[in-house]
Amino acid sequence: MYKILLIGNPNVGKSTAFNSLTKSDEHTGNFHGVTVEQKTKKIHFQNTDYEVVDLPGIYSLNTYSFEEEITKNEILKNKTNNSINLVIIDANSLRKNLYLCQQLNELNINYKILINNYDYFKKNKNKLNLEKLKNALNIDVFLINAKKLKLNENLIKNQQKNTKNYNYLNNIINKIQQKINKSKIEIIKALNGDFSNLNNEEIEYIKSFNSLVVQARYKYIDDLLLHCVEMDKNFVYGLSKFDKIFLNPVIMFLGFLLIFFASIYLIFFTVGAWISDKLTLLCNSLFVTPILNLIINLTDNVWLIEFFSQGVFSSFFVILSFLPQVVLMFVFITILEDSGIISRMAYVFDDFLSKFGLNGKAVYIMLLGLGCNTMSTMVTRNMNDKNLKTKTAILNPYISCMARLPVFVIIASTFFSKIAYFIIVGLYILGFLVALILGLILNKTVLKSKQVGLLLEFPPMRGIDFKHILQVTKTNALDMLKRLTGVIVSVSIIVWLLTHTDFSFKYTQNISESVLYFISSKISFLFTPIGLNNAGIVCALLVGIMAKELIVSTLTICNNATSTNELINSLTISSSVICLTKASAVSLLIFSLLYFPCASNIAVLRQETDKFTTVFALITQFTIAYIISFVAYQLVSKGVIFAIISTAIISIIMFAIIFVTKKIKQGKCLTCGKCK
Amino acid sequence: MLLNQAKLNVDLVVKNISANSKNKLRLQELGLIDGTKILIKHKSILKNTMLIIFNNSCFVINTNIAKEIEVNYV
Repeated sequence: MYKILLIGNPNVGKSTAFNSLTKSDEHTGNFHGVTVEQKTKKIHFQNTDYEVVDLPGIYSLNTYSFEEEITKNEILKNKTNNSINLVIIDANSLRKNLYLCQQLNELNINYKILINNYDYFKKNKNKLNLEKLKNALNIDVFLINAKKLKLNENLIKNQQKNTKNYNYLNNIINKIQQKINKSKIEIIKALNGDFSNLNNEEIEYIKSFNSLVVQARYKYIDDLLLHCVEMDKNFVYGLSKFDKIFLNPVIMFLGFLLIFFASIYLIFFTVGAWISDKLTLLCNSLFVTPILNLIINLTDNVWLIEFFSQGVFSSFFVILSFLPQVVLMFVFITILEDSGIISRMAYVFDDFLSKFGLNGKAVYIMLLGLGCNTMSTMVTRNMNDKNLKTKTAILNPYISCMARLPVFVIIASTFFSKIAYFIIVGLYILGFLVALILGLILNKTVLKSKQVGLLLEFPPMRGIDFKHILQVTKTNALDMLKRLTGVIVSVSIIVWLLTHTDFSFKYTQNISESVLYFISSKISFLFTPIGLNNAGIVCALLVGIMAKELIVSTLTICNNATSTNELINSLTISSSVICLTKASAVSLLIFSLLYFPCASNIAVLRQETDKFTTVFALITQFTIAYIISFVAYQLVSKGVIFAIISTAIISIIMFAIIFVTKKIKQGKCLTCGKCK
Repeated sequence: MLLNQAKLNVDLVVKNISANSKNKLRLQELGLIDGTKILIKHKSILKNTMLIIFNNSCFVINTNIAKEIEVNYV
């Protein structure tokens, strides 16, 4: 099997080409560094299997961020096994894109060039003589449209051996060789970021030639392009005529808030809710009722009937009813991403975020987090500062993802039907505020960022691609269905079994006699101060760590509800297993927003940071969730004065714990703070 | 004269980059070598971040990088 590596600068269309070649639906976007890990898919062409690999964008083999390292390693790893290297370059920034090609030439790596975005290039009065370019480069060059790319013989046929043309570096190499006794190949490798077999002194000496090397490469590229390309002198790739509007911070800030709040209204309360109602009705008439009737006709076993109606169907369909809202939210994020607005936001909000120890790239990560925290935590990889990356990864789960949506909508509609919209908007704002304040604290204490440089290519604005929107809708709907039919139904079944089995392993309809209820009731006292001293809720919160959707599914199972409406009604009835007051509902909303992220997010956090950071992040998140839920609960249930007094007591206890821990860590006496 | 002190929409030329080696190399590899024409298109409200144009592309940089790019007016 042959490997096809898709290589190129960030945001040139590699993932789009990957999707076209492999008929996949991988995430693409109009932003620098969307792909942060390599993606592979096998395809079959002319009786041969190929593995297509989409690599994160890379400007140069001298890597700058974590994901560029992945690409560099993959390119070098496959150097000897005849992989087919397709370098995708953007016609609008040929000079910059050819820099990477030149490095591949120097390392004797064969490749073909696919020029994307040629239409935009031509539209802006630029000219390219493809034949002359092919001859000058002495490499196969093709014009492509990444959205319609298909594998063909030209792409896979034996690659023209490149000419190893690095004569322009000869003088520099000779100078280096006068001081360092290494072969030409070893020096070339070092000039491309591979410093193996060199000591520190040699590395520093070779690095001192970096400026000259870059200048020599660009001189070579300029000579090469001189007769092939005619660029309009005023052409700037990236800026658009709308940027006068989008770069105004006031317009951008107010515009974003307006669009965001309007989208929440449309998604959760009007269009989304309408589609959701229709979907529920359709599912009930097509699946739930006929299947349940069939089971009832086949058996009179109560256990079996309840198992299917509550354990399987109810949890599945209650969460399925939120599918339209989830998909619409992803469409909203995709529109922001594809249009290039997120890049404008990253620029405009960089000023503001720098006060909190973050930078503009965090905007992209936080907006992705509105869809899925796990995915956005992974994207922190495109940050080049370790502390900044860790900080953003820790703060990311405070942004409410789509999986929390069912809890918000159900609880807010049950207890605050008239102001449900404002409650949900408030929760999103609370998440952002907590993230920013914690960012500020981390920046002043354990994760101080040195003055971090932000360097980001500004992508052009693009119109909405409805085909891509449809693709995103399909992908996210299928993803949610996969989660529903996989982890959510499986865990829901386990939860149902544990909530309907007593200690003698017999079926019980009385949930308070069940195994899970018993275990949860033993720790539920911990949640008394935040008004959630209920074994059912504790059980839902524990199960919710697996996946946030499971909070609602567990509430449904505990209250023996079979639909969203039944669940909503049951939450206010005192005889239900889970019955909430307004104060405890507020507390539950806040706690589910802020407490532990889901298991997959924890795993990615561990992967992107370290064990200590992961544990620290989890403890911090639980503590913050607990404190804010406590204050909110006291405020709603007992009034302002009681809330202030109890908050003050909690603060004193917290400070005392921090003080004692600090002194113990320093090995100092707790009384005088001086003697050891 | 450092880049972040330069005026908007005025042609500049890069004189020297004194950024740390990693940033310096990346800026150069993106085409910001000595003698390159550069233009500041926009500065953010607190002037911490700016949009600059070079190599016929547009880039966002913040003041931590901008202050280390020495430029002259053309």
